[in-house]
Amino acid sequence: MIVVRLGWRNLWRNSRRSLITIAGIAFAFAFLIAMIGLARGLVVQLLRNGTELMVGHIQIHDRDYLPDRDIYETVGNLEGHDWPRLLERLERHPQILAVSPRVFGFGLLSTGEQSAGAQIIGVDPRHEAEVSRLVDANALAKLRPGSLLLGVTLAQELNASEGDEVAAVTQAADGTLGNELFKVAGIVRTGLAYLDRSVAFSRIDDLQLLLALEPSRIHEIAIRIQDPLGAAEVGRQISQMQGLPTGIVVQTWRDLLPQLSEYLELAGGANAFIIGLVVIFAAFGVLNTMMMATFERIREIGMLNSFGMRPALITLTIMLEALFLALLGLAAGFGVGAVMMHYFSVYGLDLTRWTGQLTMVQARVDPVLKAAWNWNAVIGAAISLCVATLIAAYLPARRAVRVDPVEALRAPVLQ
Amino acid sequence: MRYPIVTLLLILLGATSAPFGQPSQKEAREIIDKVDRLLRGDSSLGWVEMTVATRQWKRTTELRIWSEGTEKVLVRVEAPKKDQGTATLRVGDNIWNYLPKIDRVIRIPTSMMMASWMGSHFTNDDLVKDSRLIRDYDIKIDFEGTRDRVEVYEFFLTPRPEAPVVWGRIIYQIRKSDLMPISGKFYGEDGQLKRVANFSEYETMDGRLVPTRMRMSPEDKPGEYTEMKYKELDFDVKIPEKVFSLNSLRGS
Repeated sequence: MIVVRLGWRNLWRNSRRSLITIAGIAFAFAFLIAMIGLARGLVVQLLRNGTELMVGHIQIHDRDYLPDRDIYETVGNLEGHDWPRLLERLERHPQILAVSPRVFGFGLLSTGEQSAGAQIIGVDPRHEAEVSRLVDANALAKLRPGSLLLGVTLAQELNASEGDEVAAVTQAADGTLGNELFKVAGIVRTGLAYLDRSVAFSRIDDLQLLLALEPSRIHEIAIRIQDPLGAAEVGRQISQMQGLPTGIVVQTWRDLLPQLSEYLELAGGANAFIIGLVVIFAAFGVLNTMMMATFERIREIGMLNSFGMRPALITLTIMLEALFLALLGLAAGFGVGAVMMHYFSVYGLDLTRWTGQLTMVQARVDPVLKAAWNWNAVIGAAISLCVATLIAAYLPARRAVRVDPVEALRAPVLQ
Repeated sequence: MRYPIVTLLLILLGATSAPFGQPSQKEAREIIDKVDRLLRGDSSLGWVEMTVATRQWKRTTELRIWSEGTEKVLVRVEAPKKDQGTATLRVGDNIWNYLPKIDRVIRIPTSMMMASWMGSHFTNDDLVKDSRLIRDYDIKIDFEGTRDRVEVYEFFLTPRPEAPVVWGRIIYQIRKSDLMPISGKFYGEDGQLKRVANFSEYETMDGRLVPTRMRMSPEDKPGEYTEMKYKELDFDVKIPEKVFSLNSLRGS
């Protein structure tokens, strides 16, 4: 215990220098906390914009469905599947928040002289509203049987407004020309120009009728879960469920949005690099302090040595002093960092000053970036700072105890 | 003074002797034009059985086809009952479809020209561009000789610069004896073979020898095809102008 007390006391022999070093560590840690928090905030936001728009976190398809979206490749192949029961079972999974069944068709929409090709997405309005926010829940609620929601640009192209009649023609699954009349239930803005131009929504059963698909046949089940970063694990659990239709694949947003996934990995790598740099800078500060502290006490160390204090204990004393430096710095840094995080998570960091409007990897980025805690990374940064401090202290300590006591006692008295 | 005249005569002889050997570029164009017009005439009225086979289904529909010149075509489905009355009208670059179930006429937008026509392996674009080979392509003879024990010409069609076409190259094989088409191979702009058309069952219809069966097979979907079999074909019939109108498209 004496070494702990010695270490603590040594720390305050030059309190100004120690405080400056503590402040350095504290600043480094606070900076890292804020940076990690903002980086996580960007990840959360990109993930939310990328997945919640349409894709969801996990999707179930027939193995051959993507990327061509061939209308014959339905979940459970040609026979289809009792998908309402499958949805119920999926909803019982503790991680799964919502599920949405979908049917996709490509066809021609027309108001007579004005016609345009469109992707028609058949959805269950109640389910879809819980998974994606491509279309807001109010618009989805208007999607009555026999009606369509049109993307805003598509509606302009067709010269159609709410209440108008639109004919839909498509190549149906039985080889006939599927054709039905729909009423325009609403016009929607998705926020992405290419979707506004090309997408229409209908109810699943209406689209199945148009495409001559049996009611048991759907193309996709999109799933929203609690923690998108844990999608791989939930996906694995889903694919291990009993009684799944044959020939399906369960894919997470990492497979479905590879660009987003790659970007997040790249950003993670860049963060680790910056954390490393900051830790190294902080370590040099500590190294400087501890070198000063040991060399000005070289006489004292030599004395302790000649009194018979074991060199290991002397080293330990110096290391403990450094550890106290680190811990005090981390504690102070955490305090400052927490305040910054509170500010950034409530008010956010307004990026418009630097960037204006921006999109990233096909997802809209909100102009105000809100921070989010990433505890693993924060703890990792704290441990790295501690370890770097100890390494920085060990080098001068080892040298000091190796000095011959006689030489050491000859050293001039400082202070 | 005599020699130049002899030289001139020789030159003239040389020029006109070409037809006895390999056809010239001009004649190549004439042959293709003739083949092109074969099934159409100045105007025609046909009864066709169209069979479409895909991996998932196979359907046969009976079509009545009216055509005039290179710019006007009306196609109406006569059987089966479910599709009866479905019709397509093409005038120039415009295509309209009529769907009796919903009683609507729909104009095909240019963005949908590459989409399937009536569920077949033909595109709407084929309906428009098929009749314009002479205008859109440079034609030359690539091969002349025996293929599968038949004397044939092989024509090489490459699109003219600026021609609004989808093919990078077409190779037509034509029987030498009676200038009947045997096959057409259509290549994309990347040089890949995209589809093959095979002609067969040459019969005389309305006093004209024509291939009455034509099968088109897309290369990227092995086993799938669309086949047109002419049941009846009358040439140079008088078709009232009002046939090629939106009213007649509706069947009224």
